[in-house]
Amino acid sequence: MLESTALTGHHATSQATPRMPDRMTISAEPHIRSGQWEDALTYVAVNADKAAYAELFSYFAPRLKAFGMKMFGNEQQALEMVQDTMLNVWKKAGLFDASRGCASTWIFTIARNVRFDMLRKKQSRKDDVSADDLWADGDYPEQEESASDKWETMLMSEKLAPHFDALPPAQRLVMQKVYIEEKSHQEVSDELDIPLGTVKSRIRLALDRLREALDDTRS
Amino acid sequence: MTHAVKFHPGMMLMEQYVEGTLAADVALAVATHIDLCPHCQQLCQDLHNDKGAQLAELTPSVSNNESEFADMLSFITSQAPVFKAARKTEADSVTVTFNDREFKIPRALSRMAKQHGKWLQLGGIATAKLPAGEKLHVSLLYIDKGTEIPNHTHLGMELTLVLSGRICDENGEYGAGDLLINSPDDTHTPHTRVDEDCLCLSVLSAPLKFNKGLVRLLNPLQQFFY
Repeated sequence: MLESTALTGHHATSQATPRMPDRMTISAEPHIRSGQWEDALTYVAVNADKAAYAELFSYFAPRLKAFGMKMFGNEQQALEMVQDTMLNVWKKAGLFDASRGCASTWIFTIARNVRFDMLRKKQSRKDDVSADDLWADGDYPEQEESASDKWETMLMSEKLAPHFDALPPAQRLVMQKVYIEEKSHQEVSDELDIPLGTVKSRIRLALDRLREALDDTRS
Repeated sequence: MTHAVKFHPGMMLMEQYVEGTLAADVALAVATHIDLCPHCQQLCQDLHNDKGAQLAELTPSVSNNESEFADMLSFITSQAPVFKAARKTEADSVTVTFNDREFKIPRALSRMAKQHGKWLQLGGIATAKLPAGEKLHVSLLYIDKGTEIPNHTHLGMELTLVLSGRICDENGEYGAGDLLINSPDDTHTPHTRVDEDCLCLSVLSAPLKFNKGLVRLLNPLQQFFY
């Protein structure tokens, strides 16, 4: 459990106790090297490397199936989504661009689009809105990071505490480590074993949520 | 872009958009907003990263059929990979012309806008339906300079995305990229300025109801806006 009540100031001192040790011992699962899936996609793109693809497949296919079961609620459609998604990963690996985001993000967008078009196809309207209309394939320029700096100072405000508690757990954990334990983005990425880009994204999302929550209380 | 977008879809709509669970017609308005709004482009990228990480963190589904994934894997790798998968080429930008004005259409709306229906005009206001609508009615809405849309109540939800120009109502001023969301029972009187017309994307879940004086006579015409 997170002690995010620290934001209210009551537990500010006890919070400073380092929590690192028990974090270090948790990896019973084989460690996933950062950049592993991105490299695998490159091998598939360049050489149609079946071994690299098989590794990607054995990691992502069962997870995509779990995702599909959540979205469709039935196994047959979930598996159809897994197969279409992983077939696209095989065929279109050349379109993956690591500078735009990590492999899991790319695979998520393929699965999302496959699912969207599966549901639309059932209604068989060919002029209809398609996944290609809706999602731009990440073609937007990067924004600068100024917004996070501005909010840094606001974060200690007591007003934010209840909203901080209401953040989705994954975002709250990252915020906790960066703003309360004062770790660098890279340290958080190493410690939680998630890509650096995901750490930054979760921080920005949490800040956006907090900003929205504050706007709502103001008006 | 000189105009800073002020009215955004909000986190809940953005999340549903990224998940692909938002109704297609509403998603079309959100996607078009994102094309026009650098802030939401970043937000959208962040949400995708977050969802991707969540996918990678899922507990894998346990299969009771051992060969299920093995068969799938060998089927897939038996397919020919696409070596020179060229990125989608930049589509020519689409424009819509009305009242001797040519409007550039954002990417997300291009394919739909090309298929817009006939313009129907009533005073300074004109609409053209888009084929997108399913449960909701999706149309382009043109409002000439110095025109007021009579005070009306929404029987359903109304999304209006400004594509070009400027529109004002009791709550503020909206420029290109701004997304107005009106819930059922919200009442407003939108109007354009005397020197600037306006093109919007309108998504409606139910007809408008006109409230005041003689314009109540418009109510039989409410299908016009719908």
